[in-house]
Amino acid sequence: MRIGIDVGGTHTDAVILDGDEIISATKALTSSDVVTGVTNALDTLLNGGGLKPAQIKTVMIGTTQFTNAIVQRRELSPTGVIRIGLPSGKGMPPMIDWPEDMANAVNASVYMIHGGYLYDGFPVAELREDEINEVISDLQQKKIENIAIASAFAPMNDTPERLVAEKIRKAIPTAKITRSSQFGRLGLMERENAAIMNATLLPFAGKVVDAFLGALRNRDLTCPAYISQNDGTLMSSDFVRNFPALTFSSGPTNSLRGAYKLTGLEEAIVVDIGGTTSDIGVLQNGFPRESNIVVDIGGVRTNFRMPDILALGLGGGSLVSSDGQVIGPQSVGHKLVTEGLVFGGQQLTASDIIVASGDTEMGDKSKVSHLSDATIKAAKQTMRTMLDRSIDMMKPGGKDMPVILVGGGSVLVTDGLNAAAKLHRPKNADVANAIGAAIAQVGAESERMVSYRATPRDEALAQITQAATERAIFAGADPATIRAVDIEETAVPYMDEGATRVRVKVIGELAL
Amino acid sequence: MSGRLTIIDESHLDDLALGSVFLATGGGGDPYVPKLITAEALKTYGPVPLLAPEDVEDDAFIVTVGSVGAPTVSLELLPSVEDAARTLDAFEKYTGRKIDAVASFEIGGGNSVIPICAAAAKGIPVIDGDGMGRALPEAQMMSYPIGGVKPTPALAYDYAGNQATFETDTTETYERHIRAFSMAAGGMVTAAEHPMTGRQLKDTVIPGTVSFSVKLGAMLREKRGQADTLLQPLKALFETSIYGECKLLYTGKVIDKTTRIIGGYDIGEATIQDFNASADPLLINIKNEYLLARQGERVLASVPDLITIVDFETGTPINGERLRFGQRVAIFATGCPEFYRTERALKVVEPRCFGFDIDYIPLEAL
Repeated sequence: MRIGIDVGGTHTDAVILDGDEIISATKALTSSDVVTGVTNALDTLLNGGGLKPAQIKTVMIGTTQFTNAIVQRRELSPTGVIRIGLPSGKGMPPMIDWPEDMANAVNASVYMIHGGYLYDGFPVAELREDEINEVISDLQQKKIENIAIASAFAPMNDTPERLVAEKIRKAIPTAKITRSSQFGRLGLMERENAAIMNATLLPFAGKVVDAFLGALRNRDLTCPAYISQNDGTLMSSDFVRNFPALTFSSGPTNSLRGAYKLTGLEEAIVVDIGGTTSDIGVLQNGFPRESNIVVDIGGVRTNFRMPDILALGLGGGSLVSSDGQVIGPQSVGHKLVTEGLVFGGQQLTASDIIVASGDTEMGDKSKVSHLSDATIKAAKQTMRTMLDRSIDMMKPGGKDMPVILVGGGSVLVTDGLNAAAKLHRPKNADVANAIGAAIAQVGAESERMVSYRATPRDEALAQITQAATERAIFAGADPATIRAVDIEETAVPYMDEGATRVRVKVIGELAL
Repeated sequence: MSGRLTIIDESHLDDLALGSVFLATGGGGDPYVPKLITAEALKTYGPVPLLAPEDVEDDAFIVTVGSVGAPTVSLELLPSVEDAARTLDAFEKYTGRKIDAVASFEIGGGNSVIPICAAAAKGIPVIDGDGMGRALPEAQMMSYPIGGVKPTPALAYDYAGNQATFETDTTETYERHIRAFSMAAGGMVTAAEHPMTGRQLKDTVIPGTVSFSVKLGAMLREKRGQADTLLQPLKALFETSIYGECKLLYTGKVIDKTTRIIGGYDIGEATIQDFNASADPLLINIKNEYLLARQGERVLASVPDLITIVDFETGTPINGERLRFGQRVAIFATGCPEFYRTERALKVVEPRCFGFDIDYIPLEAL
């Protein structure tokens, strides 16, 4: 049996799965120390299922703690940032485009030194011993131990980053170092940003992982614990101590993966209706379709893999015009329980309409008896049209697809949807996130620029797949189950005929 | 053109860059990094005068400056703030002549801002205009050589300060030589080329495009939202400009995109299917830029008119290298400046120059 836990900003959800069967589920409030909330959820689960800790083989945790820390600029530690790339990029130091409050929160010491490689392996410049020594003595003097290192074309040749990291580690044995090449993709500034955000979160990551493991220990759960990352795959909890940034945006991913688990549908649209928005995503091969647009987190550009989500301004708390023709994007949000008409409030919300139409029960129905049939009918039609239109926009290739409804606001959908080939309302949809965490797999990717003239295509793909596979094994995957799920090749204009950017993603079952 | 700017400062850069991606018709490279170095230059040296072509003295010495290479490389090999100004310094030393003002190769993409970065550091004006009014894949497609301006003397400068000078007769030959140097230098160099007199500039430049790009970017920022709501504001802006006609050709999802390299260019196609899957799909032919839009046998728009793909939900224009399967998009087309509809220009930019066996028919006649 396995436990899945989703530690959100407001709620901590948890489930126990026995194979495919949901044994027990709970929703509790997230505590400020994290430990209490998780411990409470574990108590409810274990007692509810009448289970002993020894029966649990793994615990999987999804969390927005690190995203929230960045967005709220808290729990960030002073960081040393070393860019290897001079003489290129002079006057373009790291963090040049960061929001001021975020840069201040990180309180970085920035260094630029010579080194790095061109796309064809020719050195930009040689590393200089004296420059490296100067950086190290300044770090020592400032007592900085969280360090991010980024070098030009590091995804293809990470030797400069490794050499500098080794020298620092020798001089400062307790240093926590993040190398940009550990974050894959081409794009020096975005990769460097990822490394800096990761480095600045490292001390907090240690605390959070300790809190998770502490809560598990409190309840005698000695099994391995994993944490889910933004592409729906897992990291070992020790891995998260070093890579907290890889958890950014794991929330929507787990909701999509949970919807997949609850229905078994590999190709589907998932509509997660909350209080303010309907988040619409797409499952492809049982995984979220990823976004192509540069993603910014807390105002900082990054290269993270994120699910492609369309946020439609329609939720349970969305405001409805008196004629029912206009709904949202304004919403009373979580204040629905005080401001909605059926709860004695003054605002006509989407939930009030559904109570008035008799499709669901909540609050006091008599408070909406004055609404005309025409208004109710129009409002229901408006909601349906909004959802149909957005779902159509998300469908790949316009083909008919089933739609899975999850989230507390899914009561808004009463008579089906034109856009859905079939509509699914799985049981336990309110803890889809925790279920998504519980079934996460282990994945990894590798990306390089190659010249197919110098290295034949088959050989190049094999090398890159191997690099991704090694990463997956390091992250806890069972080597026998690892397979490539995505190979992306991008030709590079203006370069020699075979220059291509290749990205390979592999996934495997967790080694249990 | 109305609403012309006379000065460029940091506050204009975001809008200029956003407008330039729309005008880049898929090519030109992401202006994000060039915009950052230009912002640094403007911070250090102050705003740059923006000079209308008609205000340039006939005997002034004008040089075009910009980046030549692969946009993908600039993701890693970051430019330096001083690269563009150093290139001009070296060019002045090489030719023994003082540059009075600089102009842009192409308003589409990163080269919309590089001349501003150079002009700031040199303390000289930048011309409100460019050599394409959009982006196009080859140097000989610029209005300057079409109008008879020689490509050289020219000078290129790489990340480490290595230099090459060029003396070639035709822009076609120059294009081959500078591309070879760019590849040897890691895939990206800064070049000063097509030197000309103020008189030659007036005869060949596509005027007012820097101001226009700022206005276009400001509009896209203010009206950010679903693409179909942008049609009226876009029409209002384009139809009173040198571009003329503006149409919303199609909205839908990218259901296929393939590109491969032929002769050093990104060549391929994208297929867009409408959201209801009720109409014939739209096919876009790509050679670095979006060149041809067809629905079945019917041509909806073709080069040298502009074809632009934007994100359906935000109206943000999407570069060819970022266009991918599953994206929800809208396709707009606009006319091109009259210069590109003349016989001598069409000789080098009509659809046949890109291997499409069709006649150019202006957008408004389609």
